[in-house]
Amino acid sequence: MSHETYLFSRMDREDTHTLKGYEAQGGYQAFKKILSEGTSPTDVTGIVKDSGLRGRGGAGFPTGLKWSFMPDPTKDSRTRYMAVNADESEPGTCKDRILMERDPHGLLEGCMIAAWAMGLAGIYIYVRGEYRLSYARLDEAIQEARAAGLIGKNIMGSDFSCEVQMHKGAGAYICGEETGLMESLEGKRGHPRPKPPFPAGFGLWGQPTTVNNVESIFNVPFILERGSDWFKTMGTEKSPGNFLCGVSGHVEKPGVYEIALGTPASTILNEYAGGVWRGRELRAWIPGGSSTGFLRPEVIDTPMDHDSVKAVGSMFGTGAMIILDQTASVVRSALVLMNFYEHESCGQCSQCREGTEWLAQVFQRIHDGHGRMEDIDLLTDIANGMAPGKTICALADAAAIPTHSVIRNFRDELVEYVQEGGHAAVSKKRSLPLEVV
Amino acid sequence: MIDSGKQPEIKRVEITVNGKTVQARTDKPLIHACLQAESEVPHYCYHPGLSPVGSCRICQVEVQQGKMPARVMVACRTPVAAGMVVDTESKGAHDSRKECLEFLLKNHPLDCPICDKAGECTLQDYSFAEGQGEGRSVEPRRKLEKRKDLGDVIMLDQERCILCSRCVRFMEEVPETPQLCVAGRGSHSIIETWNNQPLSGNYQGNLADVCPVGALTLKSFRFKARVWNLTKTASSCGECSRGCSTTVEVLRAGEIVRIRPRHDEEVNKWWMCDTGRFALDHFSEVDRLVGACMPSATRGWDQFPVEDGLQVAADMLMAAEKPLIVASPWLTVEEGTELLTLGRQLNGRVAFVSPAQNELADDLLHTGDPAPNRRGLTDLGFEALSPEEILSAASEHSSILCIGERVASLLGEDGFNSLPSATRVLLFDCALPAAQEVGNSPIDLAIGLATSAERAGHWVNIDGIRRPILQARPAPTGVWNTVRLLQNLLGLLATREIQS
Repeated sequence: MSHETYLFSRMDREDTHTLKGYEAQGGYQAFKKILSEGTSPTDVTGIVKDSGLRGRGGAGFPTGLKWSFMPDPTKDSRTRYMAVNADESEPGTCKDRILMERDPHGLLEGCMIAAWAMGLAGIYIYVRGEYRLSYARLDEAIQEARAAGLIGKNIMGSDFSCEVQMHKGAGAYICGEETGLMESLEGKRGHPRPKPPFPAGFGLWGQPTTVNNVESIFNVPFILERGSDWFKTMGTEKSPGNFLCGVSGHVEKPGVYEIALGTPASTILNEYAGGVWRGRELRAWIPGGSSTGFLRPEVIDTPMDHDSVKAVGSMFGTGAMIILDQTASVVRSALVLMNFYEHESCGQCSQCREGTEWLAQVFQRIHDGHGRMEDIDLLTDIANGMAPGKTICALADAAAIPTHSVIRNFRDELVEYVQEGGHAAVSKKRSLPLEVV
Repeated sequence: MIDSGKQPEIKRVEITVNGKTVQARTDKPLIHACLQAESEVPHYCYHPGLSPVGSCRICQVEVQQGKMPARVMVACRTPVAAGMVVDTESKGAHDSRKECLEFLLKNHPLDCPICDKAGECTLQDYSFAEGQGEGRSVEPRRKLEKRKDLGDVIMLDQERCILCSRCVRFMEEVPETPQLCVAGRGSHSIIETWNNQPLSGNYQGNLADVCPVGALTLKSFRFKARVWNLTKTASSCGECSRGCSTTVEVLRAGEIVRIRPRHDEEVNKWWMCDTGRFALDHFSEVDRLVGACMPSATRGWDQFPVEDGLQVAADMLMAAEKPLIVASPWLTVEEGTELLTLGRQLNGRVAFVSPAQNELADDLLHTGDPAPNRRGLTDLGFEALSPEEILSAASEHSSILCIGERVASLLGEDGFNSLPSATRVLLFDCALPAAQEVGNSPIDLAIGLATSAERAGHWVNIDGIRRPILQARPAPTGVWNTVRLLQNLLGLLATREIQS
């Protein structure tokens, strides 16, 4: 259970969120070193690339590689931006929030290193509207850093300038999609843009833009400070480093844990989160946020890294594990998720607009006891019609993957619902005697 | 402003569409090249005159590029690249489109039997061509507003809407008066105007054209006709000197029920203004002047056939010394040519009525000049005279021949009626001006003409572009084609000259 931790290394101090507290723990040293030594931007990008850091926002795309897609400033003089995706709204995910609330300067330092590496003129931090403390803490941190000359014009007396601005989301899941986020930042409806063009070529206001997750950026100062070789000692070969694992659901100790990539899910569940609560059995688990689908208890030993989770037919996603105990219903949980996706679909693409509604309707019918056996195949067909890659963004995929997972892994439960007359009957069978706590 | 002629240099690359080699424009999405290669690619949100958004996802085609395996992708958001091999009819493409159609039809009310769009609805066409015949959804369909009034011109049926957003983009991009939006999110999306205000502007009618389904319909066309009963004729609009290319749609060889813009890259692209669109029938059937007539002291208007009327006209014109010949700017180039010959024969002064600018001019299409063939007649050598100039010149002539559609009304009713009684007035028009009483009317002879929907010829628009008008319906019995009329009149004059 003991392993090297760095993401949470400053969490013990009460005043980490202030500049004083942050600097007392060696904060801004990595950034200042780069600036004073004049490390070339390509070298900085090179170190991040070499570390093998993969994006923590869900897709797991290598961060350094993403940075290197930004056009060469000597050939393209357009203004560059970065948008930090802090619109953490994937059900089950709550890791970025901890970082922003407790260690906002850590994020800002990462931002400034990214700004140096990519020659950014501006950074937008798009914070989920509900994250009020995150917003307030980041806001204070930006003001402090600006006053200390770490953000803004002529940073630390150099001729390097970069502004940081915050933007509050208004509660739409789709604004966490990178192009939807850019549209929202531009003041429009959060309708994802078709790709190509990709953000690195045509992003915010048509300028080169990179969009990174909070946790990805938060890793950067550590990598610069301690080197990419140090980073690679943790995690697996293809997914190095630690990640923040938010464990929720039917566990004894829900919370966010810093865990080395490649740690088996069972270890996380049992050793960190205290196991399935009340000594119950595990019925199902979701490895990385609601969009990654339901897995069976048989694969709970799967190592939590991008490739291993993919091998069991799911996705690492945001690394947010949701645990369902033996009394829980996968069909009912799927219905809750489908209602979420129906509600959050932006409505541009036909398949997603109609498909998410349709999936929710079919799950509702099965749940209510009006399911038919052919509905199981219909669900497969609807999900196949929506994804993969059939719509502008991945929201349709996010609804299709859990649907497929229910059919693939919990077909027996679907059949049970259809044959026995819905949730009322099934849940009665499963309910445990009342416990006196 | 629609710019005609000036085109930036267009780059093209060679691609293959269904085995056909096409020189595809690089500034246009792949679907443009597919349509250019005459391959049918279903599309809803894509409109050649609007920015592509790639949201309906129906235009899926199979594309093979380089060494990559063939992939199905939406053609309206795929840039063309040299060497692309496109198959619009592959199984993968068909299956994807079929799937997409099932989603589009899931909440569609399927009320084609009472839908005005039926017969020209692409949702109907593609569902028939590629759909799966039977929907698998057993869920209740979405209930939305069936009759939402969007102002004087347009009625919205929210249930039929497939949210392609063409209407929203049209208002934003063409007349640049954004008024519509997609309100709500996901499956709750609907098309709305801000605060439910009625639509405004002179280009609302185009919304019914850009709508690929029966969601936005013209109020004036609702339940008027089934579109397959309409006879469609290519023509040009005469409401201003832009001369937009149109299609005139006639129900059972009678009433003109709809005029729609016809794609013309140089003149009006895909659009036309409401003034032109709703100028269906300028003259009502009862008012039409059929044959010829003269005032008679005892019997009111004496009616007689055109042949006899022309004899009288020839007599009157022969007697005149230097007649004033006043043409309507609605005359075609061909009619103008004949009229000039007549003018020379009679040694007359030939001019056309040049009406004042009206307040309808805008930056898009309407020129504000209600003289469709101003340029054509001017080029032929007609003198342009304002109604006032014509009225004051009339007293210098012993006879005046006013000829052409709307000529009397262009001169102004009061002006026309106050023509000096000493001057002999011959009026060749589609109808008599209002309030013509025998004894009070200046008219000495009137002959009926065909309207611009009843004859053929050419107009030259403000930019010098020559476009045809074609006969969309027959003229009433006893009304002659203007060219025939003028040629006969010229023949009569020649005969008389020889005889004298």
